[in-house]
Amino acid sequence: MVTHKTLRLRRSPASDLLEALGTKKAMGKIVNDFVINVATANGTGSQSSNLIILHSMFEMGIPVSGKNLFPSNISGLPTWFIIRVSDDGYQAPGDYTNIQVLMNKDTWMKDLEGLEPGTIVVYNEDVKLPVDRDDCVLLGMPMTKMARKINPKLGRLIANMYYVGAVAHLLGIDEDAIGKAVKAQFKGKEKAVELNMQAISEGRSFAEESWEFECQYCVESREKNPDSFLIEGNEAIALGSIYGGISMLSWYPITPSSSLAESIIGWLPELRSDGDGGSTCAVIQAEDELAAAGMVLGAGWAGGRGMTCTSGPGISLMSEFIGLFYFSEVPGVIWDVNRVGPSTGLPTRTQQGDLSMLYEASHGDTQHIVLIPGTVDECFEFGWRAFDYAERFQTMVFGFNDLDLGMNRWVTSGFNYPDKPMDRGKVIRSQEELDSIANYGRYRDVDGDGIAYRTLPGSGLDPILYRGTGHDEDGIYSEDPQVYHDAMARLKRKIDGAREHLPEPVIREEENKELAVIFYGSMENTIVEIDDMLEESGLSVSTCRVRALPLHPEVEDFIRRHERTIVLEINRDGQLFGIIRKEFPADLIPKIHSVAYSDGMPPRARVYSDMILDVLKEVS
Amino acid sequence: MVRLNVLELEKSEYTGGKSSLCPGCGHDQISNNIIQAAWENGIQPEKIAKMSGIGCSSKTPAYFLGKSHGFNTVHGRMPSVTTGANMVNKDLSFLAVSGDGDTASIGIGQFIHAIRRNLDMVYIVENNGVYGLTKGQYSATVEKGSKKKKGKENQQAPIDLCAMAINLGCSFVARSFSGSKKQLTALIRAAMSHRGMAFIDVISPCVTFANNDESYKSYNYVKANDEVLHILDYIPHFSPLEEVEVPEGEFREVNLFDGSTLRLETVAADHDYTDAVSALSAIHESEKAGNHVTGLLYYDDDVPTATDTLGLSETPLVDLSEDLLRPSKDSLEKVNAGFRS
Repeated sequence: MVTHKTLRLRRSPASDLLEALGTKKAMGKIVNDFVINVATANGTGSQSSNLIILHSMFEMGIPVSGKNLFPSNISGLPTWFIIRVSDDGYQAPGDYTNIQVLMNKDTWMKDLEGLEPGTIVVYNEDVKLPVDRDDCVLLGMPMTKMARKINPKLGRLIANMYYVGAVAHLLGIDEDAIGKAVKAQFKGKEKAVELNMQAISEGRSFAEESWEFECQYCVESREKNPDSFLIEGNEAIALGSIYGGISMLSWYPITPSSSLAESIIGWLPELRSDGDGGSTCAVIQAEDELAAAGMVLGAGWAGGRGMTCTSGPGISLMSEFIGLFYFSEVPGVIWDVNRVGPSTGLPTRTQQGDLSMLYEASHGDTQHIVLIPGTVDECFEFGWRAFDYAERFQTMVFGFNDLDLGMNRWVTSGFNYPDKPMDRGKVIRSQEELDSIANYGRYRDVDGDGIAYRTLPGSGLDPILYRGTGHDEDGIYSEDPQVYHDAMARLKRKIDGAREHLPEPVIREEENKELAVIFYGSMENTIVEIDDMLEESGLSVSTCRVRALPLHPEVEDFIRRHERTIVLEINRDGQLFGIIRKEFPADLIPKIHSVAYSDGMPPRARVYSDMILDVLKEVS
Repeated sequence: MVRLNVLELEKSEYTGGKSSLCPGCGHDQISNNIIQAAWENGIQPEKIAKMSGIGCSSKTPAYFLGKSHGFNTVHGRMPSVTTGANMVNKDLSFLAVSGDGDTASIGIGQFIHAIRRNLDMVYIVENNGVYGLTKGQYSATVEKGSKKKKGKENQQAPIDLCAMAINLGCSFVARSFSGSKKQLTALIRAAMSHRGMAFIDVISPCVTFANNDESYKSYNYVKANDEVLHILDYIPHFSPLEEVEVPEGEFREVNLFDGSTLRLETVAADHDYTDAVSALSAIHESEKAGNHVTGLLYYDDDVPTATDTLGLSETPLVDLSEDLLRPSKDSLEKVNAGFRS
């Protein structure tokens, strides 16, 4: 039989906090300001259910974000999906769960234990485990039984749709919005749409009829930007690359970057056909990451726009080739979708742990351009710009993304078309052009910007044998000390020269210059909330989001203008902090402090704001 | 009188820099054969891309075809760089030189996968059984029982690159000897006329570390134990520089992709180069007898190349204009609209 309890509602610390922060309340209700956590087992189809909840609220114009915490496994291991709804636009997972959906017997007890008093718990009664929390609101539903009734075979999958119905009822999500989200989720599969809609609707009815409980959390429609949609960062990069004229993609499967490559493959037929049925981009699934990097090098050397995408372990394997890119000055693009290292690490969790490796990857003295998007719009933009930078500076350009931005869905109002033609860099394509350059040599800096001109294989124009060994300005093998020294000095000058051309930092500056926070990448999704928490403590905080390495000169000026600067990162050692400390003048260093934390989770605002406050206490 | 090829170019148009290898190195003979083959075949030097890895053999692209671009890449990874270049410019003729350390050890994975893809290239391994540049350590192709100048006899079984290539379905597999000028030049010429992976394993004695008689890859040993499958004549699709005599005995002709022909004159038993099993058998029988079988071991003209299978644009991708590489503004509006609906 159905069991349910209606409890006298106790306020959770979360709701106190939210109220303190100025939560909008209507008739005692907490509107558009809560966190849902769904605990399921991997491979049970729960991703569809969770995305339906996410998209239905998005459809209503409600600011919402979702984080998928999934295991390195295809089926059976626990997975959680966190949905944050916030009129303030907060996208971090949040400090507390307000509504917990329990579906997974393996984590059942632990999930329950961790809840704050007053949490609303929607659980699948058919799991038949105790729900021993009298201080929470316990709402049971025989989801598996009900699902089996409408489809015995698919019962396990469809059971998840019942919690969609339950959550929709509790929060008051529009039926139309749910319908739209289901249709989008099962595009073109009429039967699936029908079956899942039935399950959701049964779930909703059951909750309406059986739960004598009025939920304090609710959703309210907001005016939806008709242009907006949700998309994963990886797909945005894929599209950006396609509009950047990628002509060769080599890749080796690795989480969390595979979806980037697969997305390119998916879009190519529609976007990159030559009109006669031929593709204008070659795709090779390589035998390993070394080969993938070698293919990018070959493509760039031959005059194409080659790219690969990988994660930390792949970068480690590619390192020897990365040095060859740098030293032989061949353009190429490598996207790193960062997961948790070292070694195999936590393959399905997020981190900013590869930054310093990327910046100086490979043996000897090297330095690489790293583009760091913080939004899906920038994923698209840097996707195409990466090729321009690579060809302009004749070097390997890294894109730095992470699992959080790469594999979760973020909002955009639509991507903007590239605002300038492709920059193919200093490539000599005719004898006349070659003749016009006095004293041409493949590695001779005739313009004074550290960038030499190059000719392409097949052109017959001043051919050389490219090599990773020491070479003089004409590309001829040399072990001459001065020749080596000068070549390395020019390379340094070349990459240094990129600083001002790379994406400038995004700065939001307060009048009062007491505290500055420098951050990058996916931390963008949490920074507003961190900022608000700090300002609650009476601080006024300027922020600066770094978008490329080597650092733009603006960053140094920004630090100089502030009394104290915190460098905020999702790693253990403060990798950007290390780069800043190494590169910036010594007088600045004492007022710069590192706040770095990483546990595999997407950044939670409270963790970082507390750490910042602690550091400020220590140093003041 | 100065001799010119079909493009009216002198042979000097195909030469390269001065070799820095040990005097008498087999690799220099191979370089000469490459120059000869490219010149006789009348290939435009600028349409060739020279590729190599790291090692003594991989240095040689500096010593031939000075009018061609080239890339001396990293150890064992030449195939992947060639793959990337081939993807964006399928009109280039890739001529790659590697060594037994470069291919059979550190680069064996890339070697295997380049074959599997039937990458359109000539892949020559200059095989001496030792790492010359690091002073004579054994490589993985050294025969069991073979002994280099210093150190103990090798006890491990060798990797036979030709047998491996045949097993992987390589479309052109041959073995030769750096001292067999006529055979080797004919094989390189045929390899250049082939479309797809043309692999030639060339035994090339290391005069410094393994040219003693106990070394199975020394000059004396190979000369005494060379099991020649057939006498080879290459007949180009245009008129040859020299007249080719029709042999009196038995012969077979291999029709190559560019219209040229490789004539195989039977020496002892007829070798069926279309049959992988008999090619493997010839290799293993020869190995059992302590011999090196040389000639065209295996040939299959019906394997699609790496670029064939990808459905690429007819025009090499590197020559495509921006309007084909960057989709239109309208298309992006459609993409955005698709996500919104």
